[in-house]
Amino acid sequence: MSMIDFNKVNVGDVLPSKSLAVTQELINAYADLSGDYNSIHVDVEGMKNNPMFGGSTIAHGTINVEPVLQAICAIQGTLWPLEGTKIDLQFRAPVKPGYVISSELTVKEKKTEGSKKILVCDMKIKNKDGGDCVLGSAEIVVT
Amino acid sequence: MEQRFNTSLVTSFGPSQMLPDLKFAEMTPGWDCGGGTYKITKEEVEKFSQLMGDSNKGDVNVPVGMIYIFGLRICWDRKVFIDGAVRAGDKIVFYKPAKIGDTITTKLSIADKKEVRKEKDGKVRINKFLYVDMKATNQNNEKIVDIQMSFLLPATMQ
Repeated sequence: MSMIDFNKVNVGDVLPSKSLAVTQELINAYADLSGDYNSIHVDVEGMKNNPMFGGSTIAHGTINVEPVLQAICAIQGTLWPLEGTKIDLQFRAPVKPGYVISSELTVKEKKTEGSKKILVCDMKIKNKDGGDCVLGSAEIVVT
Repeated sequence: MEQRFNTSLVTSFGPSQMLPDLKFAEMTPGWDCGGGTYKITKEEVEKFSQLMGDSNKGDVNVPVGMIYIFGLRICWDRKVFIDGAVRAGDKIVFYKPAKIGDTITTKLSIADKKEVRKEKDGKVRINKFLYVDMKATNQNNEKIVDIQMSFLLPATMQ
């Protein structure tokens, strides 16, 4: 059962958010889980001399998406997004160790497709300073 | 850093020719980039849940963020991440939940490509984009998730 009532949600409402504190330890552990050891993520010493990201490593882009994935599950009251849920996202800026990133979902349309009730949302992942690192939209199925 | 990825969880398959072997003109929709399998273990799920602060600890269901874990190593093994390419975005569609004990098969193929003309300071640049489908199914051939990844290819790409 979804945590929000489709009938009580209005266009313009901001849905509950999730946050993630990104550290080098988290990035390293993610590399161990995913097998993605690209040096831009894990070579702390090597990246100090690389101007590409201001002398820093950056998180895997897939880590940046984590808050919105968790937020959608929390909204739906599920452990896995309900079938038919969709996300369309663009990576806009890298996330570095020390950032705290948060999801922002704002309802822009309510629609039904057959028996499915869907909240169409503008979606952002913002870093602690308010900059956008991921932008896009989501279609969240609610029951 | 010391690498602790459990390579026994993953297999990969596909043609000997891989994406970096192709010129842009040869990148056609439907082209098979290969794929692989990922075995979901309770140990890996617990590690992921703890890492991401996901409340889904010890459940048979798999934390949603693992959708990327299924395919990242396979994408590297199949050289889908071309040197110098920039990951531009993803389109994700969710189907059945993944569960502990599942073997997820990921298949990769070219979905589309396009060239975008950009003009700045009187100079014209053609940006080349490539779209790759990553389709994940379980051992019962049920769809788990589809992710269409988009890449801005390096300017040197012919």
